[in-house]
Amino acid sequence: MSTTPARLSPNRVPFDAGRAAYIGLNLVLLAFLLLPIAIVLVFAFNPMPYISFPPVGISLRWFDKFFSSSDFMNALWLSLWVAGCVLVLAVLIGGACALALARGNLPGRSFLTAFFMSPLMLPAILTGLALFQSYLLVGIGRPVWGLIMAHTLVAVPYVLRTTLAVLHNFDRRIEEAAAVLGASPTRVFFEVTLPLIRPGVFAGGVFAFIVSFDQFPVSLFLVVPKGETLPVVLFNYMKFDLDGAIAAASMVSILLAIAVVLVLERLIGLKAYVKL
Amino acid sequence: MILRHDTEPMPAPAALRPSPIAWLIAPALLLFVLFFVLPFSVMAVMSVYSGNPVTNPNAFLTTRHYMRFIVDDADIFHDALWATLKIGFITTVISLLIGYPLAHWMARMQSRLGHVLVLMAVIAPLLTGIVVRTFAWMTILQDKGVINTTLMSWGLISKPLPLMYNEFGTVVALVHIYVPFMVLTLTGVIGRIDERLEQAARSLGAGRIRAFVEVTLPLSLPGVLAGSLLVFALSISAYVTPSLMGGNDVLTLPMLIAQQVGTSFNPNFAGALGMILLVVCLIIVIAYNKILTRLTGEKGLA
Repeated sequence: MSTTPARLSPNRVPFDAGRAAYIGLNLVLLAFLLLPIAIVLVFAFNPMPYISFPPVGISLRWFDKFFSSSDFMNALWLSLWVAGCVLVLAVLIGGACALALARGNLPGRSFLTAFFMSPLMLPAILTGLALFQSYLLVGIGRPVWGLIMAHTLVAVPYVLRTTLAVLHNFDRRIEEAAAVLGASPTRVFFEVTLPLIRPGVFAGGVFAFIVSFDQFPVSLFLVVPKGETLPVVLFNYMKFDLDGAIAAASMVSILLAIAVVLVLERLIGLKAYVKL
Repeated sequence: MILRHDTEPMPAPAALRPSPIAWLIAPALLLFVLFFVLPFSVMAVMSVYSGNPVTNPNAFLTTRHYMRFIVDDADIFHDALWATLKIGFITTVISLLIGYPLAHWMARMQSRLGHVLVLMAVIAPLLTGIVVRTFAWMTILQDKGVINTTLMSWGLISKPLPLMYNEFGTVVALVHIYVPFMVLTLTGVIGRIDERLEQAARSLGAGRIRAFVEVTLPLSLPGVLAGSLLVFALSISAYVTPSLMGGNDVLTLPMLIAQQVGTSFNPNFAGALGMILLVVCLIIVIAYNKILTRLTGEKGLA
């Protein structure tokens, strides 16, 4: 422990065992967060069905197995198709909703915001169960559009969150200036507000895509045999077999996640995302 | 964090008439009524019916699904509820122990680049699917996984350690999956505590540890509670991880619900189990929101 109280001399700090332990501990914890994901990467390129250290070589056989299996490919295309639809729907519905909440002078705004965020707060498996029972009650079976609407429901909060973050951060006086200079409300909306919130909406769209692509609990009760999304197929496969094909499939998901983090940081800054 | 709210003029009460933009809320409302409010109502209704009230004219109102849970002749349901809460509690405590140092580090980090890098490291796992992250732990903890093969090749153990298909493996993977939520909640709260309070304590002669224990830690306790509630609510509703990592050792409430839908095909009883889980989660989530609202509402700390 240092004996002198903190002084305003950031340069030339002497070695500090307490501080080193603190940083060391945190680096270990970070490793705990990241290493498992790195191991999936090693596994995906590992020629053996089980990992041994050090790895014995590099092979693409698991990617080959994944991309040449019709079960995996059907699931991948279904997931991509569903996620694409969810992206479009969630951006339109969530973006409009954010604008209404931030600029519509609606009564009970904070209640409405909490209401639209609530799918994130309730167990997703129950959202899936409730929709499954409703579809059963109405007698429509388990159509793909039902799955898409279910994913849209849990994706809208993300679009709402990122768009509201941008709406709260930007200076309302820009809109007021445009209005003072004679622009009609419609023109202010299309030429000032919309371009300004675009990054937030895009970021939300990226989120919506990945939330749908990786979605498991909501999908569980809403998919039909032979019409399962990729996470459900992977889950069922993993109950019996743990080979590298899963690792190869996981790489697709991990690469998407990395892309999303980078895109988010560029579009709105991660801090703005975390704030709300 | 941006604190520009103070300079923003609040709209005058007279201007609080909904503008035409308010109509943009219509699609979201429609979506939420049809696919959120109604389905959860359907679940509540199903849980008190003996069958499907639309297709089966003989279906009648009953409390038997709830009674079946309460009476529980075979002790399955109470055990499952207990296991769910226990796993949730252990996961929460460990997530707190791991999440607090990371959150403190992030909140107090001077370098902007360092902050962004750590934030990315915390958020990246969050954006990887639950199935993928559970798979990662299976490759590490299974009998022929990274840990067991390495220890065996070094000759430290002769047969694999039972790291998976039990509660231990379930908790490890759950902690990894939900620790980012703890970190993000705590970072916000610790970042709001004025660092000068700690510096004042230090300059008055308190050691670093004492300044932390007597100043920062007490001020961050509401955040600790909020983060813990969030992780608890998430881990008691987890399905993928306990069913893949738990083997035959672990049966939780969400797994029971899936069983009732999938193998027993008893959606009414599944509805009752769902309502029980929902009520538990709602209580926790409301408490979480109350704490966070009070925290962010307090301008004194900001």
